[in-house]
Amino acid sequence: MYKIGATLLKEILLLSRDRSGLLVLFLMPALLVLVMTLVQENVLKTMGEGHTRVLFVDEDGQEVGENIQRKLAGMSSIEFVKEIDGRKIDRKTALALVFKGDFQLCIVIPKGTTAACKAGAQQSVRRAFEGGAPPHKDPVERLDIRVYFDPTVFGGTRSAMLQSLELLAFGIEMEEKMRALSDLLQTYIPGSIRETMGSPLAESSGVDIPRMQRDFIHSRLLGVRESPAGKSVFEKKPTSVQHNVPAWALFGMFFIVVPMAGGLIRERHDETLARLRTMPISYFSIMTGKILGYLCVCLIQFGLMLFIGIHVLPLLGAPVLQMGADPFAVFVIALSAILAATGYGIMLGTLAGTYEQASMVGPISIVIAAAMGGIMVPVYAMPRIMRDISVCSPLAWGHDAFLNVFVRGGGLESVAWQVLALLSFFAASLLVSRICFSLRSRNGG
Amino acid sequence: MGPVTPLAISGIGSAGAAGEEVLIVENLVKIYKGAARKALSGLNITVRRGEIFGLLGPNGAGKTTAIKIMSTLLSATAGRVQIYGTDALKHPGHIRSLLGLVPQNIALYGGLTARENLRYFGTIYGLRGQVLKERIAFCLDTVGLESRADQRVSTYSGGMKRRANLAAGILHNPRLLFLDEPTVGIDAQSRNMILEKLSLLKQNGAAIVYTTHYMDEAERLCDRVAIMDEGRIIAEGSLQEIADRPTGHADLGELFLTLTGKELRD
Repeated sequence: MYKIGATLLKEILLLSRDRSGLLVLFLMPALLVLVMTLVQENVLKTMGEGHTRVLFVDEDGQEVGENIQRKLAGMSSIEFVKEIDGRKIDRKTALALVFKGDFQLCIVIPKGTTAACKAGAQQSVRRAFEGGAPPHKDPVERLDIRVYFDPTVFGGTRSAMLQSLELLAFGIEMEEKMRALSDLLQTYIPGSIRETMGSPLAESSGVDIPRMQRDFIHSRLLGVRESPAGKSVFEKKPTSVQHNVPAWALFGMFFIVVPMAGGLIRERHDETLARLRTMPISYFSIMTGKILGYLCVCLIQFGLMLFIGIHVLPLLGAPVLQMGADPFAVFVIALSAILAATGYGIMLGTLAGTYEQASMVGPISIVIAAAMGGIMVPVYAMPRIMRDISVCSPLAWGHDAFLNVFVRGGGLESVAWQVLALLSFFAASLLVSRICFSLRSRNGG
Repeated sequence: MGPVTPLAISGIGSAGAAGEEVLIVENLVKIYKGAARKALSGLNITVRRGEIFGLLGPNGAGKTTAIKIMSTLLSATAGRVQIYGTDALKHPGHIRSLLGLVPQNIALYGGLTARENLRYFGTIYGLRGQVLKERIAFCLDTVGLESRADQRVSTYSGGMKRRANLAAGILHNPRLLFLDEPTVGIDAQSRNMILEKLSLLKQNGAAIVYTTHYMDEAERLCDRVAIMDEGRIIAEGSLQEIADRPTGHADLGELFLTLTGKELRD
């Protein structure tokens, strides 16, 4: 134990004095998680996945505007803004703000919309009753609700927003038409009876036409509801923070292969390893000390990433990192991922002939594994062939496991296969390293 | 024979019989994988307690391969290496605490101070607490680095690094010390100090196997020398025996060139 402890202490001392190693281990993932989360947060907004900021300019100030406002304001994904600095916004200012990118879109209800809608409804109901009568000599001009989008807003968001507004407009229009129908029924039905049965009969029979209740328009007969595919305490999709914090934490963990492999190669080249091999210490003890050293460093690194997700990113406008209900599972996943990374570091440091080889192969292989593993682009957004390949990436196993806990509300049992896969990768890497080490030792390398 | 403890741990100091055979190498052969010729071709060496044995030879003669096999770093194709009666090739773990190695390169962690390096290697040798502290202080003092012990090795001059390298090799007071060209590329003062300290180690009973390209060092330090070429020993004996060879050579250097030739070795 003393020997393992001494090796652990030596590794920590060496790492703590290696400035470029520290930059790779701490600063790089911290910056990546900050930058990528904030960038993705903005992309999600423009794609409509996040919180959409909508400016609302009601030039009409009547029923139509109130109706639309009431219904849109009820949507949790929309932030409805009518005033800035306590002042109502006019159309010109609103368009400038949208063009600047401060808001994703602006809805304008032109003056006279409500009146035009009511008059149009009356006119169309009348025309329906009057059948073959010639068109109205003074038709009501249709006034459209205007929507202005930030040019960067994606097509999907635009069509979703326009679709919602079309539905709202259709509902309002139907309501007005039903109201007009109800009003005009009082006029048209007695008239029609009079025409059919004769005037005296109609008046003596005392026909009472009931007024229609308009509420029935709003009662829904058929609905659509989004439901989670599995057991979930989070009904939302992963936030940019829930995606990025574990993603870049894993990326940072795996980047330890660079200083780790570099250290091993240096030991081999300057014959420190040769000196150690003539000493009463086993390969197992040397490697265990190294692994424990890097394990400690990576746990601190992971803690830093969680701290950024919980305390720093919210200060910059991103959501707080929600970590699910099983912190022990999070710890086990982190531990397994770190072991997988250290195993890979030892394998790379053993197989690579020179520091240059390791410093080139290491980062490139990690970037490829990260891209395959959904660190940069979520796996579900990849083409099918890439989704199939992504199951080979240890970073994908780790990321999937974190999302299982963070987003899908899973516990240790839900991440068992990913944890086992990471630990198997660790064991396989060590085995390859041991075999290569023995072969090289036999041949004097 | 069971494991033997190093002097620093056993506390037996210079006890033991002078002239006791510490290292016996018999018919050692090494053929590297894919190599056309033998790196070692039937090497035979015997080194006794309190003796400095010099291995001389041109580049590629097989000196470093011999040191690597004798210090348990490399397996042999054939032959036997016996250290204090233990078969070192079959049971390397039994005798490792008796060995010290000072490799050709500076086998130290440049990011650590000399004291931290020695503390680490000392712990690996099983030294603890006060004994470890005292050994570190003694070795640093021996190589003249006490005042610079808390500086990182990477900031040292070439001579200081060589001396620190030697300190790490003698930290546990080994019974058998292998030194592979320990004075390469250093100033005369550092070299002189290293040679003086090696003489002291010899007086304390350590057996030393020493490779060098410097004939004057061998003449000054070694009790016996072997001149190697192409994996074999082509001349061996005490300095007197070598000097008495009927070849009429003025010194060891001249004899060396006669035996190994004047053509360049790469």
